[in-house]
Amino acid sequence: MVSEGTFDKGMMAMMIANTAASMGTEVHIFHTFFGLNLMKKTAKPKLPGMYKLFTGMFIKKMNKIGLEDYAGQIKLAQELGVNLYACSTTMGLMNIKQEDMWDGVKVLGAAGFLDIALDADSTMFIG
Amino acid sequence: MQKDETLDAKGLMCPMPIVKLSKKIKEMPVGKTLELISDDIGSKEDVPAWCKRTGNELVGTKEEGGAFYYYIKKLV
Repeated sequence: MVSEGTFDKGMMAMMIANTAASMGTEVHIFHTFFGLNLMKKTAKPKLPGMYKLFTGMFIKKMNKIGLEDYAGQIKLAQELGVNLYACSTTMGLMNIKQEDMWDGVKVLGAAGFLDIALDADSTMFIG
Repeated sequence: MQKDETLDAKGLMCPMPIVKLSKKIKEMPVGKTLELISDDIGSKEDVPAWCKRTGNELVGTKEEGGAFYYYIKKLV
């Protein structure tokens, strides 16, 4: 579950997700509140607070050690079959449409996601 | 150590050696052994964990010239 839309929160979720998927684990990520901004095709998340200015430099350093930027992580997640979900209520509140989001993002509500999470062996909350 | 293929992941940090390992193993036939080279210190814990979770066998390891070598036999 991801509820914040900054670069670090998004990257943390996607890196853990892509690792888990690489280990043969089924992954489902629910994006709600500001986390939903990360599901927009145009998402270019920044580091939080005063670190915002250093986002570009940070991404360059990550690229050097083989890590993709956020859009690259999403592409990898799509290839690995990570399931991405958008909170339907947040979509309404922030006026985000299905077509604004990455390909394959599924829309559901809290009960729909809980139905998946309640059967999980492990759940994680990222900010 | 006997190997059929090599994946050089030097310079890559977690989780990329694991992501690349997973992709590479998928392309290989069962029974073949992959040599993975990584200089990410986290790989010392990560590679055995990946093998355990995916059901593949870590048949050997060595450390040489500041890099870690893993020999992974594809079982599944």
